[in-house]
Amino acid sequence: MPSLLDELIEALRCLPGVGPRSAQRMAYYLMQRERAGASRLARALVRALEGLHHCERCNTFTEGGVCERCASGRRDATQLCVVETPADLNMMEQTHAYNGLYYAIMGRISPLEGVGPRELNLERLLARACDGVVSEVILATNFTNEGEATAHYLGELLRLRGLKVSRIARGLPVGGELEHTDIGTIAQALIERRPLEGA
Amino acid sequence: MGAIRSRVEGQESFVLQLHPFRETSLVAEVFSRTHGRLALVARGARRPHSALRGLLMEFRPLALSWFGAGEVKTLARAEWMGGHAPLAGRGLLFGYYLNELLLRLMPREAPHPELFDHYAHALDELARSGAAEGALRRFELRMLRSLGWGLTLDREALTEEAVRPRCEYAFVIERGVVPLAGAGAGAAAVSGEALLAMAREDFSDPRTLSEGKALMRQVLGHYLGERPLNTRRVFMELSEL
Repeated sequence: MPSLLDELIEALRCLPGVGPRSAQRMAYYLMQRERAGASRLARALVRALEGLHHCERCNTFTEGGVCERCASGRRDATQLCVVETPADLNMMEQTHAYNGLYYAIMGRISPLEGVGPRELNLERLLARACDGVVSEVILATNFTNEGEATAHYLGELLRLRGLKVSRIARGLPVGGELEHTDIGTIAQALIERRPLEGA
Repeated sequence: MGAIRSRVEGQESFVLQLHPFRETSLVAEVFSRTHGRLALVARGARRPHSALRGLLMEFRPLALSWFGAGEVKTLARAEWMGGHAPLAGRGLLFGYYLNELLLRLMPREAPHPELFDHYAHALDELARSGAAEGALRRFELRMLRSLGWGLTLDREALTEEAVRPRCEYAFVIERGVVPLAGAGAGAAAVSGEALLAMAREDFSDPRTLSEGKALMRQVLGHYLGERPLNTRRVFMELSEL
């Protein structure tokens, strides 16, 4: 039977990016120097597990049924931006360039890992987008192959349901210089070049 | 000296699959033209400003350098080679299907340069043409041939007689083409015409495409064994939505 210490170290390893050595360091630190913090962490974890649920509308975490953002009357409910994770959602919010609502898939289609529409519960997203109020869906999944595949299939399914679908643009970063940009990005920017609108 | 001798420079390769590894690294299953399939650790590839971020991706040709003597080598450098149109839309799912076939059927560290060229050609076809399913079937046939399981489709198994376009046949695993009448109950029928077209790798006729799909599924199922393909399941689920 593992000792309490071993069990704690093993438990800490479930955190992203934490291997056996970091887990050991964390465990010693919590037990030796930060017992109050450890106790607070334990309580917060238990309470979060009991009290946090997926928002009925955007699928991110919230304490009630609908999160504050989705419940706010000041957002444009005709636009729905689809992101992979809550971290992506926060990045979009930081732009202050978007005032619509969101849906976080909590993942992406990963064909080799067997993660498909069933695992991601894509039916729920389709139902959310077809609430009769949303008119445009903005696909903001990552520009990885998996993010692109996810965007492609979502795009087809949403268009079939009569929605306007757009994809966030990709290309050189703001302030980017060709000389200092990676070749793959430049190649893609060339493929996806757009005509200059005449004044 | 050992470390220097085991260093391999600038090999044309494709990433087949990426797995997160330790805190900030990745393990890449790659298919290299000269060294076949191998596993490379990409140290620090998941750090926010890693030069490998956005570079180590499936379906694009990369020049990879690595070193190490163990089963898993260490990636030293990766460079974009370009020249391939990127996969998009449904082609991405088909690309993952090819990758899964290679991951399941191609053993590690056995060079298969001709299979590498077939793979690169198939990706190109998927990127450029709408007739994608033919590209999949062509790749499957060529892959089986490269792995030593080539199919003879234009001659009967026992008699060596030429397959006739207007006759019906069946394909029996590890034997080959037999007349449908002598194939026993439950054998799936395939027309002589489709067999001959497949032998020429010509999938322009929709009938060849549908009969070829059933035949290839039967043959691949034999080599893949019980465990179903993840990519096939995801693809089916997506088409049902």
